[in-house]
Amino acid sequence: MKIFFATDIHGSEVCWRKFLNSAAFYKADLVILGGDVTGKVMVPIIDYGGRWKVTVRGQEYTLESADELENIKKQIRNAGSYPAIVSPDELKHMSEEEGAVDRRFTVEMTESLDRWLDMADGKLHGGDIPCILNGGNDDIWEIDDIIEQSPCVSFAEGKVLDLDGFSLVSMGWTNPTPWDTFREASESELAAKIEAVASQVPDMGRTIFNFHAPPYGTGLDEAPALDSTLRPIHGGAVMKPVGSMAVRDAIMQHQPMLSVHGHIHESRAVKKMGRTLAINPGSVYGDGVLQGAVIDLNAKKGKVQRYLLVNG
Amino acid sequence: MATEAVGGETPTLFLRKATGLVRGWSVRDSLIYACLATNFVTLGIYEFTFAGPAFPKGQLLTSVVISGIWVSFLVVAYAGLIVTIPRAGGDYVWQTRILGSGIGFVMAATGWWFILWLWAPIYGNILSVQFFQPIWATLKWTWPGGGYAWFATNNGVFIVTVITIVIAGFLVSLGMGGYARIQKWAFIGGLIGFAVVVGLLLFNSHASFVSSFNYEGMHLFGVKNAYAATNAAAVKAGYTTSPFGFGPLGPTMLLVPAMMFFILWPNWGATLYGEIRGASDFRRVFSGMFIGLWITVILTVIFFLVIAKTVGWGFYQNLNSLDYNLTPQFGIWPYPFLFAGWLVHNTAFQVILLLVLSLWFFGWVGTLFLSSTRVIFAAAFDRVLPDRAAEVSEKRKVPFYSLILMLAPAIILGAIYAYSATFRTYTLDATLVIAVTYLFSAIAVVLLPFIKKDLWRASPASRIKIFGVQIVPVAGWITIALLVYNLVMWLWKDQYYVNSHDSLLYMLAMYVLAIVIFVVARIVRRRQGIDLGLINKEIPVE
Repeated sequence: MKIFFATDIHGSEVCWRKFLNSAAFYKADLVILGGDVTGKVMVPIIDYGGRWKVTVRGQEYTLESADELENIKKQIRNAGSYPAIVSPDELKHMSEEEGAVDRRFTVEMTESLDRWLDMADGKLHGGDIPCILNGGNDDIWEIDDIIEQSPCVSFAEGKVLDLDGFSLVSMGWTNPTPWDTFREASESELAAKIEAVASQVPDMGRTIFNFHAPPYGTGLDEAPALDSTLRPIHGGAVMKPVGSMAVRDAIMQHQPMLSVHGHIHESRAVKKMGRTLAINPGSVYGDGVLQGAVIDLNAKKGKVQRYLLVNG
Repeated sequence: MATEAVGGETPTLFLRKATGLVRGWSVRDSLIYACLATNFVTLGIYEFTFAGPAFPKGQLLTSVVISGIWVSFLVVAYAGLIVTIPRAGGDYVWQTRILGSGIGFVMAATGWWFILWLWAPIYGNILSVQFFQPIWATLKWTWPGGGYAWFATNNGVFIVTVITIVIAGFLVSLGMGGYARIQKWAFIGGLIGFAVVVGLLLFNSHASFVSSFNYEGMHLFGVKNAYAATNAAAVKAGYTTSPFGFGPLGPTMLLVPAMMFFILWPNWGATLYGEIRGASDFRRVFSGMFIGLWITVILTVIFFLVIAKTVGWGFYQNLNSLDYNLTPQFGIWPYPFLFAGWLVHNTAFQVILLLVLSLWFFGWVGTLFLSSTRVIFAAAFDRVLPDRAAEVSEKRKVPFYSLILMLAPAIILGAIYAYSATFRTYTLDATLVIAVTYLFSAIAVVLLPFIKKDLWRASPASRIKIFGVQIVPVAGWITIALLVYNLVMWLWKDQYYVNSHDSLLYMLAMYVLAIVIFVVARIVRRRQGIDLGLINKEIPVE
């Protein structure tokens, strides 16, 4: 069985489109997106009644036609941001009222995900090509129900899914980060969550862990070291391990055949942990490039036959 | 969810609190790295000893300024690549993405891996002539046999090369965090040491320098009237120097390829990245490298001015010419800082000054292997090298196998360098091979807008314009001109010692080795059912 695994596309529409095409491109039997589907940035497009103003990557644009508007929206979406059309009054209101930006963010994220899942329906032939998504620590809770209800995508969060004789265990939670995001738990809580789902697996020798958090100290979890103001120290060149001890312990204890991770975009790496092959394909969603791992599983022997990290 | 508005009174974007949203890095950190990489002490002064006598009609001062201006365009071109594809791995990543996997691997393997084996004995030689020899001479130590002179023997050069390799390997094993701390303090200490040298040369007269030189020449080496003897020996050898000044331009331009030995590296640590990017990030990336480069140029100019004022330009060049002709005065490499320290007749002061100035070396030596290990890792993750090459030891987090891939050949080449005088003349090969790698990155810069249109359009670099013209591709063309000019000169003119038969064979062998590794990797991986051609193949969007 051939799997394509990607992760952390953070709202990049071009990466989502590529993900939907990845099964055909890599001749994969199954595609998995390992969490952090939603974006982090919302770009207001100010509507002046038939004319719009927007600043994209530091450059201000005045848009005179619907075509220009669509074009700039596409650019914003491809970069992993959400275009939000607002009137000048709305923008003022959003800036002043506490919680207004959050509410708008939620609307944009959920609407965008709805649109993405509509696209998936066509590309994945209504579910003929298995496509699995789970949450990541940056994903808001509202996405869970939306994905769960999709007819062509399986929502794997906190579940054990059977994939043609292999078990897939998924978990979007991570150990605490400096940003205090949605799905964070202490190491002991995380260990308990992992154990709760891993204990349902019938055969660890034919199991894949799909945990958003990478295992601690394995090279899959190297992020720029930050000072107390969240500024990278020493020019961003100093890296430190920020992965999860609970995930590491779970891998070492259970020894699944494969463990796929994301979360730390810079840490594209592969590590053999006893019997387990652990992979973090990293993410460069901002470039519009879909990094991923093409993994061949040997169904008879229950092991990873081969893998390749790709920049699609 | 917490959010942040960016853009002042009328927000231009909203950020929600999410992983990885970090503030921009400090320009100070990257400029320190750039300044230590274009190390005017360890590399610059070392190179002037060769360059001045090789092109006596040229002007070092003018050539450094011209080189600084020209290399500034390389800084613009690299800043463009960094903000467009901000990835660890640098040239390897950019070239594999833009020009293809094969070119990327061959250029990165030769320029960031194989050629650094040759840099190891060069670093070792610098440690010998700027640290061991002057300290041993100052303290009049006679152990090991021959005292300071032993470090110039074949055995001495080899042992110091091994010491250098061990130090560089140790710094890599410390990790970037530990090394960056060492680098920061080494930079500050090195600047203080240089300020002391400038102060000594600025506030002492030429006459007092001559007197001190003669005194210490006699006291330490038993040479009478050393200042006059130096000038007489250079004249006797047929060397005539040009007076300190700015021209003529023709011979001065011949010095530019020699200056590349130290000034071509402001982009050495250019693997900085972050998630929120924009025009300001371009400025930040550019500023770090640019300011680092120009601090080097300014320090060099100050150095030349104080040398001309107090030491005497003709004398400095004469000292260098004797070393160039393998008859160095006192039998020691003419380290200007050693002679500047002689203005204070106190052994403790002289040794402390040498130790403080050696921080320029110790802050820089770790750069020898750091970048190489990253390239080896990147190639291993791309399955071009065996997976083991990217392994890191569990306990100490040491990249054991990649270090072996660096250390073992470096020790072998160190031995060849130590025991073969011919091989030692290949010093500029070390620059040439990296320049070829840079050339392909410069080509990638000019092709980027055509090959990766969407990526370029979205890049902050595409919006850096002067009079409506995108300057990054223009800088790419000027960088190509710089590198082609240097390559032509290196291969054309005998004085650079690059175009000899054996030197060319040595370099060719490295390219052949890289090609063989890549071809073998493709064949082996194909047999394993892995198509390496897929690595950078873009998935269709529609």
